[in-house]
Amino acid sequence: MPLQSSRSTGFGILRKGCSVPLREFSYTPDEYETEKASNSYLMSLVVIMVGLPLPIVNVIASAIFFLSNRKSARFVRWHCTQTLLAQGFTLPVNAAGLYWTLGIIFDRTAVSNNYIAYILTIILFNLVEFIATIYAAVQTRKGKHIVWWFFGPLTETLVKT
Amino acid sequence: MAKIILHFIVLAVLFFGTWLLLGSIDYLKYFRVEELTKEAEHNLQELILNELQKGGGELDSDTVYSFVNGIKKRLCTANGIEDSSITLHILVRNEVNAIALPDRHLIVYTGMIRYCKSPEELSGVIAHEIGHIEHGHIMKRLRKEVGLSMLAALAGGEANGEIARETARLLSSTAFDRKLESEADASAVHMMAKAGIDPEAFADVIFRLSQEKNDVPKHFEWINTHPNSHDRCAEILRLRREEAYINRPIADSAAWANYKKIVRGIPVSLK
Repeated sequence: MPLQSSRSTGFGILRKGCSVPLREFSYTPDEYETEKASNSYLMSLVVIMVGLPLPIVNVIASAIFFLSNRKSARFVRWHCTQTLLAQGFTLPVNAAGLYWTLGIIFDRTAVSNNYIAYILTIILFNLVEFIATIYAAVQTRKGKHIVWWFFGPLTETLVKT
Repeated sequence: MAKIILHFIVLAVLFFGTWLLLGSIDYLKYFRVEELTKEAEHNLQELILNELQKGGGELDSDTVYSFVNGIKKRLCTANGIEDSSITLHILVRNEVNAIALPDRHLIVYTGMIRYCKSPEELSGVIAHEIGHIEHGHIMKRLRKEVGLSMLAALAGGEANGEIARETARLLSSTAFDRKLESEADASAVHMMAKAGIDPEAFADVIFRLSQEKNDVPKHFEWINTHPNSHDRCAEILRLRREEAYINRPIADSAAWANYKKIVRGIPVSLK
């Protein structure tokens, strides 16, 4: 996911000298919280091998992690929600690719340029998400607040307190 | 909220834009997919035809060949199909059968010609097989039942004769699934109507075959491989009512009787 630019929206300021824009959270999360928040990203990575052929697995894993942490500190909930939303976005995209591929395997449809282009597109988007997830996992572990494009502001509206 | 919507729109544009951009590349041409598929289909067709010819060679009669080919041409021309793209073979075999092969080859057994009471009935059978060819059913079925890897081995000449025999047997003695058969039936009715041939003849031959197959099942391969004949006849007659056509006979009964005599090996003096 593209990382969001730096202008203020109540989250704080852009860290000076940082090549990727980061924002500060409303409070400084403790060690326990950063570990949990980082795990929410790692959770989606751990199941990626299973989740690629069956995209729903990623969402279920993220949802379980989200539910088990719904009473945690805000920093943890915030990042669990961002992960879940990102997984929710990639689910229909990947599921469509899976459905299309199964259609080809079972001969309901033929391989076309459109199909190959779609598969390349979802590989590209999944790759970007994969890299962004690793980056977010590392940064949140350090206590840094990573706000993704689209999912960040959306998470902000959902996780108020 | 406006910002979230804007972000979403940008993300969607980015996704569909990437797809559109990547979609402008002709991957199939680049990887020679179509060329390789055609080559493989051609090899498969030769292999299967060779196997079938072992059970009976091609009929040595230009008269009958021209007549049956004329039926095929009439059906193709009326339906915007390049006639020369479909190659007809008439094999001397007693079984009542007609088979569509890969690479747009069509086989009619002399047993089928002898069985049909009119050239219109034969045209129904041919139209049905052309329907399979036009819908690409043959390769679909082979991919499903023989498997891609086995097909690739067959097409590349790496598979042994036993597998080729099995594939030929599969095409000549087992059914397409019901959906594909219905598609081919619907195409046959439409093609016949457009060519000015009454599709009722097609329903007649199916009905008769289904009635008689229980007596001498061995020879009625074509109907054995095409299940639910009663339902099919009803559907063909229903589709026939939806078509508008002017019936133009293919040949008179005397000419048809002569063609059948030639097929039986009886000397005939044609006018």
